[in-house]
Amino acid sequence: MTVGVAVIGSGAIARDHVRALAALDGVRVVSVTGSDPARAAAVAALAPGARVEADAATAICAPDVQAVDVCGHTADHARWTIAAGRAGRHVMVEKPAALNLPDLERMIAATSTSSLLVGQTVRFQPAVAELQRQIADGAIGTPRLIHVTWYVGHVWPGGWRGWQHDPSRSGGHPVHNGTHALDLLVWITGQTPRRVFARSFPSFAAQMDVPDSFHLVVRQADDSIALVELSYALRQPGDMLRRLVVTGTRGTLVHSTADDPGLVSAALRPPPASIEGAFDRQMRHWRDVVTGRGAPVTTTGEIRAALAGALAAQRSLTTGRPEQVDTALAGDRP
Amino acid sequence: MTDQPLRVGFAGAVRHAGQYARVLAEDPRVRIVGMTDHPEVSQWITQDGKALCRTLGVPWIDDPAELLQPAAIDLVIVCSEPTRHAGMVIDSLTAGLHTCCDKPVATDTAAADAVVRAAEHAGRVCTVVNRTFAPSLRRMRSWVDAGALGLPRHVDVEFLTSSAAMGSDVERADLVVDPALSGGGEMRNFLGYAVDAIRYLTGLEISQVYAETGALFDGPHGAHGVEDTAVVSLQLAHGVTATATVSRSPAVPTLGSAHSSIRLIGSHGHATVDDETPRVIHFGPSGAAARPVDGGGGAQAVTAFFDDLIRCVALGRHPAYTVQDARTGVAVIDAAYRSAETGQPVGVDA
Repeated sequence: MTVGVAVIGSGAIARDHVRALAALDGVRVVSVTGSDPARAAAVAALAPGARVEADAATAICAPDVQAVDVCGHTADHARWTIAAGRAGRHVMVEKPAALNLPDLERMIAATSTSSLLVGQTVRFQPAVAELQRQIADGAIGTPRLIHVTWYVGHVWPGGWRGWQHDPSRSGGHPVHNGTHALDLLVWITGQTPRRVFARSFPSFAAQMDVPDSFHLVVRQADDSIALVELSYALRQPGDMLRRLVVTGTRGTLVHSTADDPGLVSAALRPPPASIEGAFDRQMRHWRDVVTGRGAPVTTTGEIRAALAGALAAQRSLTTGRPEQVDTALAGDRP
Repeated sequence: MTDQPLRVGFAGAVRHAGQYARVLAEDPRVRIVGMTDHPEVSQWITQDGKALCRTLGVPWIDDPAELLQPAAIDLVIVCSEPTRHAGMVIDSLTAGLHTCCDKPVATDTAAADAVVRAAEHAGRVCTVVNRTFAPSLRRMRSWVDAGALGLPRHVDVEFLTSSAAMGSDVERADLVVDPALSGGGEMRNFLGYAVDAIRYLTGLEISQVYAETGALFDGPHGAHGVEDTAVVSLQLAHGVTATATVSRSPAVPTLGSAHSSIRLIGSHGHATVDDETPRVIHFGPSGAAARPVDGGGGAQAVTAFFDDLIRCVALGRHPAYTVQDARTGVAVIDAAYRSAETGQPVGVDA
């Protein structure tokens, strides 16, 4: 069976998705939809036979489409995920899944007869996947203290036009990128965040509504504690330091990109080996989900928990106070 | 500097007294005259002190008044349980003696303020053992001072130590976990290191603290109602932020007994340092062991601190790290405890 995929969005992430989908057996990118036809055409050109579709609703309902990959602005995620779900399509939606929990609930409900995978690409990074496996295998007992250090250079395109800088469209930085770290916590610890305190430092431009750097102090449901430092403020694009320390009742696991194989060359500056291939693995997983060979690695309960934690973090940035995480909607889809 | 060795006495001889005494004993500029403590303290405290004296070949003086006076010694090392630190420092200063206190100088800000006042009144050297001489910290500070990192924007400090280190000859567990002796848990014990490092690197004061704490691991802390772990968010001047993680857990990410590392993001660069690096790793039949160069940052910090202290006392100078610095650390720690108790960010008592 070859799965026909409609890709909604034509930005940088959509480009990564299309490139990875085009390399997969059993998947055909049917169409790419974007607000800029020329850019959509350039992205579609990465997948042989893919067409540019001007209208997302038309793309979703096309008879040769069985699955929809929702990229684009976060504010549009709910609309297209719900439309795809109601049309019986399987959906992968980029992170963060939604801008609020009610939207997420509608997305989950709409895809209840198909499937919903959230693009938490970090789960597919080799080092993170290994970390999770070891914790799940009981290598350190119960995780109690987690420290995530995640420093990278500025990566957002679009200059001051970038939608990521508009909290009403991106949810703010704790939602836009903090979801990565919060999903990581939820996944590796099996816990949900209960209370979050956030503090930012806008290092590139103090006037930004979306600070490029922040840290979170997270109290989880089982009283374990996590510190997440996230900075998109390293001086050089491509710079990265990510360090994960998970201390459990019987051991500690550590990974740092500083320990990765190194290449120093003016010709090439590859990403750390510990994160490479994540998009490819994610897309392969999605194909397996769509073809009935597996369940989404992101469960609905985890999606809710990570987004709820991120939303609380964004509120904390605004209030300057710790915020309780809305856990009323916790739990996996029946 | 005279040719006569500096006469040093210990007031209280528990916790790190053995480590400090061994460092001082190797210094040819120093003669350890003796150790003492008040007779009314718990018997095990004096027994531990006497045992240490026997090990070191140093006299134990039963009457503190006999040792703690200018005719007998020049410098007092206060090394009791933390809850008695401030009072013993004040007594020592009042007696006209230069005084160095083990950290923390006090277990509450009011007591630290009293020490500051006593030091100002006495005009003697008064300082507190700290880790600002750690080579890793000095290295990072040199990068900041060279302008290589631009303006510091965020500092992250991690100090993780092993549960197995408790109950050793230098540290009875009760001295760390019984609040009547320790004044708190590991946040009281270790957060001062992070505060010192953050202030040393940035030159900025901490204005607000948020802390999450807990007895996360299966150790003696929970039974005593104190934390083994604290994760702390700090607001500094000019919008600069810092984070600190201090913890005592069963398995520390180190090939030694403690892990101490710092990450700094500046406007024009970032840097990381670690007390255990540079190092050489030895692989043997039973596993790997780290051999940090020159004994590692923690040991070097203590040695360099006392080296500087002895030089300062001999030359009549005050060490760069003052009791006011130590008082600031206590105030931040107190704010962190108030934050943990109230669940809210708390301003630091300036």
